[in-house]
Amino acid sequence: MISGKEKTIPILAITVLLLGVFSALYVNATQVNKDTIAINGNEYTIDQLFSMCNKRIIETDEGEKTGIALDELMLKAGVGCPACHNYIIKAEDKYQQTVSWDILKTGILTDYSRVFFPDTAHTFWVRNVIEIEVK
Amino acid sequence: MNKMKIFAGILLFGSLWGFSESIIGSALSDIGLPAGAIMTGFFALTFLVISRMFYKQPGMQLGMGVIAGALRLFNPFAGCHLCSALAIMAEGAIFEIIWYKISFDLIELKTVTTQASMGILTSYIVYVGGYIVTQILTPIISGLGFYFENLIALMPNILSSGLLPALIGGVVLPATILVKKVDFTVKDRLYYPTTIGISVLCWCIVVGSWFLIGA
Repeated sequence: MISGKEKTIPILAITVLLLGVFSALYVNATQVNKDTIAINGNEYTIDQLFSMCNKRIIETDEGEKTGIALDELMLKAGVGCPACHNYIIKAEDKYQQTVSWDILKTGILTDYSRVFFPDTAHTFWVRNVIEIEVK
Repeated sequence: MNKMKIFAGILLFGSLWGFSESIIGSALSDIGLPAGAIMTGFFALTFLVISRMFYKQPGMQLGMGVIAGALRLFNPFAGCHLCSALAIMAEGAIFEIIWYKISFDLIELKTVTTQASMGILTSYIVYVGGYIVTQILTPIISGLGFYFENLIALMPNILSSGLLPALIGGVVLPATILVKKVDFTVKDRLYYPTTIGISVLCWCIVVGSWFLIGA
């Protein structure tokens, strides 16, 4: 005779598999592929951003990283009172992290669209950035 | 089983898990394989289930997670050490919760279908749960604040990322349960030297590599 758990476990397993499959389909359907980065509502190519700002080298626990300074980038992008805002850094796969100005001003954006900060956990090093939203 | 014996078991299996995450996981990641999914679906599930089958001790897997997570903090290679350590500790705790109602002799998991289903279910929930916990706790412990909207935006990715470890777990659990038939009796006088010796070796390799490469 099949016990309750022997019936329930396969049903739950199928449920989580379906949840995983449908989530994967949703992620695939909603993934954004674009060559520009939106900053404060305006779209820029990575080359445009690198022509607007000076390069900065920062030291991280994975060695030196080179890119453009995020604080300078925000000022050049027309953000008024930068210290008054938080910044949501969004990736093409919907990953996003929110940082304050105190953190943002220490960071850089590389030419392969990744942000690095010298003193944060790597979870804040967002890859494939497509937007920096000013909140 | 006496407490010292169980503690030595926690140390052994936690160290093996942490060693796998630090050394093998990093190597898998370097060659472009989905290390997180393989680590949870194969290594973590194997160590967690074997320890539960042989020691039959509630709370042991939670302790293993703490030991493995602590060892993962010394990972000498690139990556988010804090995130991974938190995820591993959470995985041990989540495993305890999922398996709370499963008997130690696994009578509920008699058929291969139930075993595979339990492997899928465990791996999926452990992986997704660990992922969610680390997304919440890493910003908090880092002192940068947790933003719920960031977690909500990432939820579809988190839920889909559990698919691969679930499929691996569906194969690994029935295979691991076969080990139950193997007689692993270790003589008492060899038990402590073996468990502590292997644990120390794991820690020496990881921490030694950390000093050589990471520090």
